[in-house]
Amino acid sequence: MLSDINNMEREVIAEHVPLSASLFGKVLDFSENGLFLVDSDRKIILWNEWMVQASSLGREEVIGTAFVDVFPNLKGRRIESVINAALDTRTASLLSRSLNKAIFPLYLSEVGGEKRHLEQSVTVKPIQSNGHDYCLIQITDVTPMVQREDVLRVLAKEAGEALQVAEEASRFKSEFTSTVSHELRTPLTSIRGSLGLIVSGVMGELRPEMARLVGIAYNNTERLLFLINDILDISKIESGKMDFVMEPVDLKTLLLQSVEANQAYGEQYEVKYVLNDVDDGVTVYADTDRLMQVLNNLLSNAAKFSSKGAEVEINVIPKDAVIRVEVKDYGNGIPEKFQSRIFEKFSQADGSDTRKIGGTGLGLSISKSIIEQMGGAIGFDTVAGKGATFYIDICLFNDA
Amino acid sequence: MLEISELQRDYITEILNISMGSAASVLSEMVSEEVALSVPEVDFLPRSIAAGKFDQSNVSKMSGVTQSISGAVYGDALLMFPEEKTLSIVRILLGETVPVESLTEMEQEAMCEIGNIILNAVVSSIADILKKEIMSSLPRFIHGTGNEVFSVESGNNDDLVMFLKVDFGLESQSINGYVTLILNVDSLQGFIAQLDEQINAI
Repeated sequence: MLSDINNMEREVIAEHVPLSASLFGKVLDFSENGLFLVDSDRKIILWNEWMVQASSLGREEVIGTAFVDVFPNLKGRRIESVINAALDTRTASLLSRSLNKAIFPLYLSEVGGEKRHLEQSVTVKPIQSNGHDYCLIQITDVTPMVQREDVLRVLAKEAGEALQVAEEASRFKSEFTSTVSHELRTPLTSIRGSLGLIVSGVMGELRPEMARLVGIAYNNTERLLFLINDILDISKIESGKMDFVMEPVDLKTLLLQSVEANQAYGEQYEVKYVLNDVDDGVTVYADTDRLMQVLNNLLSNAAKFSSKGAEVEINVIPKDAVIRVEVKDYGNGIPEKFQSRIFEKFSQADGSDTRKIGGTGLGLSISKSIIEQMGGAIGFDTVAGKGATFYIDICLFNDA
Repeated sequence: MLEISELQRDYITEILNISMGSAASVLSEMVSEEVALSVPEVDFLPRSIAAGKFDQSNVSKMSGVTQSISGAVYGDALLMFPEEKTLSIVRILLGETVPVESLTEMEQEAMCEIGNIILNAVVSSIADILKKEIMSSLPRFIHGTGNEVFSVESGNNDDLVMFLKVDFGLESQSINGYVTLILNVDSLQGFIAQLDEQINAI
C-alpha cells in the first residue's frame, strides 16, 4: 500500500543515509502495483517496472516528459484534474474502476501473447519533500475482482431464475392439492351423510352382513375426510394462506370444551381425560379454533396411544410470559429412533400402526405449524414404556 | 454548543454550496446523469451530541466514507448515509450491479470515490474560508451503528464537530446524508475570525 511505501521510505532514509537510489528503485520495481510520480511541472519523474510492462513504454520515453504528452488522450479528463488538485491543493483522490472505465491504456500480456485490457483502480496522492510538491499515482490491477463479480452476477441471476421456477412449481402443487382436495370433499361429504343415515338404521333394519359392510364403508369415508381436511390444512400452511384470528382466549373454558369434545373419542379407547387444576382468568393470545384443533390433536393422540383403562392428564403450568399446557399419557412412549421426525409430515412410529391406530400422520406437523405461527412452541418428553408428555407453550395475553 | 450568527451560518452554507455544485457536476459527468448536491443545514455540535443524532434517527446501520484530515484542521471527515441508502445511491449510479444485500468490493470502492469527491469539496471550502491548507488522506469505506461509525478514530467527546446535512438528489429521489468534520478549538476560533473578516469585506 501507498502508506507502507512512505513508511518504508522513511525507514530507509533513517537507517541508510544517504539513501541508495538503486536500492529504492529496486523496491519500487518489485511492487505489484503500478507507480509513477509527477512533479509540479507535471512531468513524470519516476516510472516503475510494473508501469513499463503494462504500458509498453520504457523509462527513456517517459522520464522527464509531461504527463499529458505521455497520455495525450487523457488531456482534460478526470485523472488530469485530480493530479492537478494533488499538486495545487494537496488533495488525495481515488478513481474507482466502476465509475471510471479504462483510466489508463494498460494491458495484460496473456499466455499465447494476446493482450487484454487491464481493469484498474487508481489512487492519486500529494507528497511533499524538501519544499517541493509531487503527486504519486498508484494503479492497482482489479481484473480478478471484476471477473469474480462477473461470475457472482451470473450466479445470482441463475439462482434468481431457479428460485422463480421452484416457487412457481411449488405454487402450482399447492393450488393443485387444494383444488383436488376441495373437489373430493364435496362428494365425500354426501357419501358420508348417506352412509350415516343407513348405518343409523333410519332407512330400515339391515341384515347383519350388510350392516358390517356398510359400517366399513362409513368408517373409511370418515377417515378419508379427515385425511382430506389435513391435506387442505397442510397446503394452506405451505402456501401461507392459513389465516389466524388472534384474540384473547380464556384458557380454562377452552380446555373444558376440548375435553368434552374428545370424551366420546376417549371412550372408544376406554381412556379417561383428567383436567388438573386450572386457575380462573388465565387468558392466552391465540386463534380459538386453531388452538382447539391443536388441543384436540394432542388429546386424541394421547388416547390412541394409551393402554385400556388408563388416564390422560392435562396440566397447566405458568412459565414467565407463556403458559404451558401438558397432555400426559401412560402409554408405551415414543421410540427413540422416531423422536427426531415426530413433527414431520406423514410420520407415525410404525408404518403398520397407521392402520391399527388410525390417523393420517399429519396431525402433529399441522399442530407444530399452527403453534409456531401463533408465536408459541411445541415439544414433548418421553420415557420408553412409561408414556409421553406433549406440551405447548402459548403466549399470555398482555392487557397493557 | 457554539453560537454562530445567522449571517455567519448563511455565509458558510453558501461557500459550501458553491463547492458542492462543482462536486455535483463532476459526479454528473462521471455517471452521465443529473446529480444534485446541496447543504441545507450547518451546525456546530459537541461530538457526543452529533453521534446521538444518528441513533435517534431509527437507523440501525450507517455506512459511508471517511478521510483523515490534517493541517489547519485535524481529525476526520465523515460522510454517512443509512446503510440501505448507500446501497441505492451506488446502485442508481452504477446501473446494473450484483443483486446482493450488501455492497460488493467494487461497489464499496465506487462509494469511496463518490465520498472522496464530496468530502474533498467540503474540505476545500473550509480551507478557502480559513485561507490555510488542509490535507486529506485517501477515502476509506466504513460501516456500523451511528456510535461505532462516529468513534472510528479516538477523540474527545467534547470536541466540536461541524455537522452538515447533505441532500443527494438522484433521478426522482432525494437522499439525505450527513457530513461531519472535526475541528480543533484553535482552528475553530480562527475559522470564525476569518469568517467575519470575509463577511466584512463583502
